[in-house]
Amino acid sequence: MRRPPLAVILVGLFLIALGETAGAVISQFRPQVARYAVARVAANPQRHGLAGSAEYDAEVTARAVYAVEAGLSFFHTHAQGLGPLVILVGTIGASVVPWRRARGVLYTLLALGALFPLGYLAYSVAVLERGREAGIEMAERYVLTPLGSAVIVGLIALAALIVAGHRRGPAA
Amino acid sequence: MVRFKLELTRWARSVILARPATHGLVGVRDVDEQAIDEAIVKFDAGLRLFHLHAEGMGLVIIVTTMTAVTLVRSDGVRRAVVVLLSAGGAGYPVGYLLWSALIPYYGVEPAKAIAEWVFWIPFGGATIVATWWLTVLVAMRLVRRS
Repeated sequence: MRRPPLAVILVGLFLIALGETAGAVISQFRPQVARYAVARVAANPQRHGLAGSAEYDAEVTARAVYAVEAGLSFFHTHAQGLGPLVILVGTIGASVVPWRRARGVLYTLLALGALFPLGYLAYSVAVLERGREAGIEMAERYVLTPLGSAVIVGLIALAALIVAGHRRGPAA
Repeated sequence: MVRFKLELTRWARSVILARPATHGLVGVRDVDEQAIDEAIVKFDAGLRLFHLHAEGMGLVIIVTTMTAVTLVRSDGVRRAVVVLLSAGGAGYPVGYLLWSALIPYYGVEPAKAIAEWVFWIPFGGATIVATWWLTVLVAMRLVRRS
């Protein structure tokens, strides 16, 4: 087995470390995060569609806080999952893809895609600052979809390269 | 969890009912049922989180220790990082199992405090410290190389 470039390994490790730290932070500072989220929703009444009715506003605020907490939780789980994936897929790419340029493209896609979990941080912030629906749509369209697509394309490309490398192998 | 869900819930409920003071049960069905439901939801969540974290941390242990063994040159540092990653990663998920098991006996928050001090803080802390340590070592190696 060959190892991928140090930069790819570093991105994967950084992601794992961030994910682990985020888990501890979410667990220890849940009340503070919720208080901050409630304050931000109250500071952006129009974006969240607050109507001045205590019961309705409380429900809207609770939904927004839930979305923020979900975003942070997704950041934790995706960072923990994608970090090892980047290192493992990078290792497979380094070991079985014979073409240097193809490996470079694969590493680039993986490194880009590794930023995908950060999209969930953007998701949480966008929910607070833009309102729940608009924030989620914005994070999905501009951050999660492009970065997630990079990972998907990278994985499909690796599968195709493995097949191509296998076909080339016996002939070489 | 899937196979024994009903049995687990029955067991948790019976232990909770045997400790009314611990769970703030007052003898009024409407109030008590809500408190029992809340405790059972957390009990179930603890088991789910154990399942989730055990699968995730297993992979994290393999990848991070593989990286440490490949890239850390100093024997002592490599051994320390691998021990911290392995012990931390293996012990941390067990905290969720302990939390879940203790909820019927001690209530949600006291059970969480015990799991935190016995498993989550020491083992989770070890994993966090070791992962950042390894990240810094790899970053330093990359900087030296470039």
